[in-house]
Amino acid sequence: MRMTRPVSIRELPAQVFEWIDSRLGVRELVMSSLHVVIPRGAHTYYLGGITLFVFISQAVTGILLSMYYEPTPDAAYNSILYIMNQVNFGWLIRSVHAWGANLMIIFCILHMIRIIVQGAYKPPREITWMAGMGLLFVTLGFGFTGYLLPWDQRAYWATTVGTTIPEAIPAIGEWLRDFLRAGTDISALTLSRFLGVHMLILPVSLVGLFALHFLLIHRQGLADPHEEETR
Amino acid sequence: MSDQSSHAPAAPEEKQTLPFWPHYMLSEFIAWYIVLGILVTLSALFPAGLEAKANAMATPPHVKPEWYFLAIYQFLKVAAIFSFLGSEAPRLMGIILPGIGMGLLFFLPFLDRTPKRSARKRPIMLAVLIAVLAVMAYLTYIGGQ
Repeated sequence: MRMTRPVSIRELPAQVFEWIDSRLGVRELVMSSLHVVIPRGAHTYYLGGITLFVFISQAVTGILLSMYYEPTPDAAYNSILYIMNQVNFGWLIRSVHAWGANLMIIFCILHMIRIIVQGAYKPPREITWMAGMGLLFVTLGFGFTGYLLPWDQRAYWATTVGTTIPEAIPAIGEWLRDFLRAGTDISALTLSRFLGVHMLILPVSLVGLFALHFLLIHRQGLADPHEEETR
Repeated sequence: MSDQSSHAPAAPEEKQTLPFWPHYMLSEFIAWYIVLGILVTLSALFPAGLEAKANAMATPPHVKPEWYFLAIYQFLKVAAIFSFLGSEAPRLMGIILPGIGMGLLFFLPFLDRTPKRSARKRPIMLAVLIAVLAVMAYLTYIGGQ
């Protein structure tokens, strides 16, 4: 039988890490992700990174809100009242989520303006740009679907007029409006449809697009605004 | 950042580069920390409100969509000026023109083929950008009235 040397407590974390790393190869992954060089002239002006940070904040506060939220017209409004008045720091979590929704859209748009001004969408970064446009649409979708969930007057009527915008599209307009509303009017079906989109479809789409966006940034590096593209 | 580079020997590469970690990420984390402060401060000073429970029978006086949809919502109303093209034209133009705009924006890398990057060398792009932003801001403003 093989004798193993007793491990001292101080060595234990390193040994556990070694054990895991020899199976997963985490270190190599982390090193190759972090230790890349970026052009000195390339700044990001923090706008894209802040958008990511606000999204992380939205995910955390959104998951916390989902613990107390009830997605039926009769219960939704009361569950928001309960979050605001009874749950410890519930008012703060909901307010951070509401402000975060606005800030995420603002920073997303500012990031896009910065990319246009510096021409950072130019080859080879076309796919990064299109993934970014997808991210903007997903973010707007988050705002649109999330706004209905409190089921107060403002939510109900903003969604009523918001869903009339696609009405103007020829041929499919009215069908699209009823598809968004899950019926001719805003109802219990609209609420559960919006919640499903808000909590499942959009987060998955956003994470997928983010992954593509970041993979491309990692492969191609940050754009250097002082460098003319050589093709 | 600056004292680090003064000790280091001159970069051998042609391009002046900087390691992503920790330089870049440190300043990024500082920015995140500031944004977290802004988020919590705004939330504490102006908590999210809640109006009366939704009632399909009682239309409130000022119904409007969220601020980020006000520009397109207002454009649909402004598109009434296209009525000289026919009775269906305002509705069509109101949705088709923003649709074309979004399509152009999505395929921007394929439409703008010049290799120039600096904003100073691309005055037309800059002018178009400022004009579009000004129109959007104006539509959002009057839409919110």
